[in-house]
Amino acid sequence: MKDFDETEIIKDLKIDARAVGIPEGAAESFIERTMKDAKKSLKNRSVITEKDLSRVILKELKKYNADLAYVYENRDKII
Amino acid sequence: MLVMASLQLTPGVFALFYHYALGQFSKAKASYLSLFFILGAEIITTCLYLSIFYLTCIFFFDNLHPETTILFWAIAGILIALGIVSFFFYFRRGSGTKLFIPRKYAKALDLSAKSVKTRSDAFMLGALAGTCELIFTLPLYIVTCIEIMRMGSEGFASNFLTVLYILTPVIPLFFIRWKYQSGLNLADIQKSRTHDKVFTRFILAFSYILIAVLIICFRTIYQ
Repeated sequence: MKDFDETEIIKDLKIDARAVGIPEGAAESFIERTMKDAKKSLKNRSVITEKDLSRVILKELKKYNADLAYVYENRDKII
Repeated sequence: MLVMASLQLTPGVFALFYHYALGQFSKAKASYLSLFFILGAEIITTCLYLSIFYLTCIFFFDNLHPETTILFWAIAGILIALGIVSFFFYFRRGSGTKLFIPRKYAKALDLSAKSVKTRSDAFMLGALAGTCELIFTLPLYIVTCIEIMRMGSEGFASNFLTVLYILTPVIPLFFIRWKYQSGLNLADIQKSRTHDKVFTRFILAFSYILIAVLIICFRTIYQ
């Protein structure tokens, strides 16, 4: 079991967002909203698996940018 | 050459590396670093190819047939095995383009791609990615070296083929670089890789088995 490292996830998402061509300001704003909504939907659970977390973040990201969501969804499936 | 150009590990690592570089540095720096990745992949291909050429010369020169017919049978067997393996196991089951390498190594390559900061990091990552594919390229190197040796290493055709063979593995990398430079991103590249997955598997399997059949026909049965 390990702690949920929000800063690491945000850092990775920012790198992905910049790489897919999303302007920095917009990326920061919707990544912040994504994390806020993700935390909200997971707040009643005492234990969260990595899969749960990824699923919720992905669901939120899909609302804002399809390419970023695709990259996030496939981040472990490229090699 | 078709097999070398169809292998997916180096292009996959390169696509990831370029993506992370774009996310961390300017477009110009990402593009500049990518050249060192390609250079690393090219240098390792050249070194491996020339080393195998040298070893093949030492062990098999002037001694290729009839004593070494068994060698060709062995190589043909390995190529058939690789054809079967590449069809069923080159890509892992499930969505995406997860490759044959153990997940631990895939994660390590992903982390290395993410942490590239300098030209030497990019160069080493290219070299590492090229080396990881050796299991699929080694028998091809041996076959090519033997065939080129039989053509005579001084001829234009053999030298031209050698250069072409060494350059082929980096062509897909230049293609991916061009895609990134023309505004596409990892999502677009990964979508096309996923779309071509079945075709790639088929081409790999077909090519390996075809080479094996040609070896069996021309180097064992008709000699």
